[in-house]
Amino acid sequence: MRLVLKRLAAVPVVLLVLSTMVFAAIRLLPGSPATGLAAGGASGTATAADITANTEKINAALGLDKPLLSQYWSFLSDIVHLDLGSSFYGGNDITGLLGDTLPATIELTVAAMLIAVLIGMLTGILAALRRGTWIDTATRTIGTVSFSLPWFALGVLSIVVFGVWLRWLPVIGRLPNALDYHPLTNFVLLDAILQDRPELIWPWLEHLILPATTLALSMAGFITRIVRASVLEVLGDDFVRTARMKGLSPAAILRRHVLRNSSLPIVTVLGLQFGSLLGGSVITETVFSYPGVGNLLVNGILQRDYPIVQGAALAIALLFTLVNVFVDLLYLALDPRLRKA
Amino acid sequence: MSETLLEIRGLTVEFDVPAGRLPAVAGVDLSLRRGEILALVGESGSGKSALSMSLVGLNRGPRAHIGGEVLFGGRDLVAADEKELRGVRGRDIAVVFQDALAALNPTQRVGDQVAEMIRTHRKVPKRQARERAVELLGEVGIGNPAQAARAYPHQLSGGMRQRVMIAIGLANDPAVLIADEPTTALDVTIQSQVLRLLKRLQADHGTAIVLITHDLGVVAEVADRVAVMYAGRIIESGTRDEVLFHPQHPYTMGLLSSVPRVDGPAVARLPAIAGSPLTGVARPKGCAFAPRCAFAHAACGDAIPQLQQRYGGQAHLDRCVLERSRETLAVTP
Ligand SMILES: Nc1ncnc2c1ncn2[C@@H]1O[C@H](COP(=O)(O)OP(=O)(O)O)[C@@H](O)[C@H]1O
Ligand SMILES: [Mg+2]
Repeated sequence: MRLVLKRLAAVPVVLLVLSTMVFAAIRLLPGSPATGLAAGGASGTATAADITANTEKINAALGLDKPLLSQYWSFLSDIVHLDLGSSFYGGNDITGLLGDTLPATIELTVAAMLIAVLIGMLTGILAALRRGTWIDTATRTIGTVSFSLPWFALGVLSIVVFGVWLRWLPVIGRLPNALDYHPLTNFVLLDAILQDRPELIWPWLEHLILPATTLALSMAGFITRIVRASVLEVLGDDFVRTARMKGLSPAAILRRHVLRNSSLPIVTVLGLQFGSLLGGSVITETVFSYPGVGNLLVNGILQRDYPIVQGAALAIALLFTLVNVFVDLLYLALDPRLRKA
Repeated sequence: MSETLLEIRGLTVEFDVPAGRLPAVAGVDLSLRRGEILALVGESGSGKSALSMSLVGLNRGPRAHIGGEVLFGGRDLVAADEKELRGVRGRDIAVVFQDALAALNPTQRVGDQVAEMIRTHRKVPKRQARERAVELLGEVGIGNPAQAARAYPHQLSGGMRQRVMIAIGLANDPAVLIADEPTTALDVTIQSQVLRLLKRLQADHGTAIVLITHDLGVVAEVADRVAVMYAGRIIESGTRDEVLFHPQHPYTMGLLSSVPRVDGPAVARLPAIAGSPLTGVARPKGCAFAPRCAFAHAACGDAIPQLQQRYGGQAHLDRCVLERSRETLAVTP
């Protein structure tokens, strides 16, 4: 328990450090929001003088003419008041934008995680049990290859194959535009239950499958390797011999003794891998035009929309931290040796 | 008492190792009688565990080659398939392992681990198996069995864990209990408690126990019969008194001389056995102990001596070719 509390206590610190880094990094990028806005505002007909004049006006309006330190200070105090500001473009409230996009990203990453765990566990266990056979070699080779596939390439490939050639699945967005959906929680599955609209589920799943699988594959390859190693290690443990001594069947030994004990290192790795999964979701969301935080972040960066970049990065960091706290709790649930006082 | 329960004939256990094939057990004939405590002694690496694990196929695997016969209840356990063996393991023959902390599942409650042993072989409801587990924990001398049943292994002391292991072993009232160095990991007072427990259970349940140990003090305390192993073979066997008080083989004598004696007058000792046991792949043509034997002569290298009755009682066998009386041996400085 103490471990978890410690983790939770560290969350604000992590977020502070991270937001500071994002605050600095985005401002170090060449170009500024005002240049884009000033040129675009006059729909391309602006003269150089107009642009300079506009830029100054815009900078003043956005508060970008103030010294960095004071910008930083007001940024921090806004965060403390749970005010993430609003977009430089269109003035949308960031909290509102995150409320729309964060559920989408959570759906995507959790679905990817589930797919990855399912594939990774099955193949990892299979490889461990068939150690040294061609099944083992094949599984490990496929795992290694899928682990090293770049998300971008995989995403584009799956769009071409399943969306364009086979036309099996939609490749853009999260739900069909024509669909009559009035978000309540913005989690589609949850809304489908709360609003009693089961017809929402299939279109949602259909849109989720490709991006989630794309995102899952490389993680699955990684999990395969971890599961294989972990299962092999536990299979060599003395208590497995005790289970055999009891007369248990191999299936019962696997189910009751091996899986739980080999899940400990796997769970740790999942927490850490969730970070790279979030990184991958940024790319995957962009490739599939999926309206999540990653997409929001990329657009924010391209437009130098500082508040959006800051808000999206914070949301992603928060998600990562929460998942790891959850992983710690899971760890405690799985291993009684870690439960102390 | 003399009814044979388990008969081992020409048992061999070999492992594929990088250097070749390691003969861990190189032809063992041994029988276990109903209700007796048979001590299997020998230095570390002599093949005691390999022998006992192969009785129920616990060391079967792609790198293990097990030959010979283990006759039990009218069948040969070496030839039996895994499915058949699963019916024997834990029900007719159970094992108590040396390192109870490692041998117990760290993420399962102790009571459930005992109950699992029961439910593997008998169709009883979970609740009933749990209740029986608590009873068993009480029977092996655990103070508050209901509380202990809910504990995880790491929450118990070493002695308690070994008692749990014994409770698991006894859960189905097996005919044979193999205890592989059950007290090695424990401190001395706990050791003798656990031994007395085994002795009592053997008396109460009539369980035959194969007690593996390298501690002759343990043997003296509880064993009915003793078999001494060296380099994968039995080199001497007989009743406890025969082997401990009238040892025939120089190796047994050496083992006995290295037992510290706290009782009685200091006796003239044989030199403690010099050198280290044979554990490699290559084995000599003759007596495996000859290179370390203070009495070895040219004939010892010719052939492996037979295990046979020589100077002692009817069932007192040893594997040595030296023509001698014990007096000639005892004078060696
Ligand atoms: N699974 C195995 N693979 C390879 N060698 C083994 C294996 N088990 C035991 N051995 C070897 O067999 C010999 C006998 O080991 P063991 O039966 O454990 O001895 P003991 O129990 O008398 O100490 C040792 O040399 C040991 O290294
Ligand atoms: Mg051993």
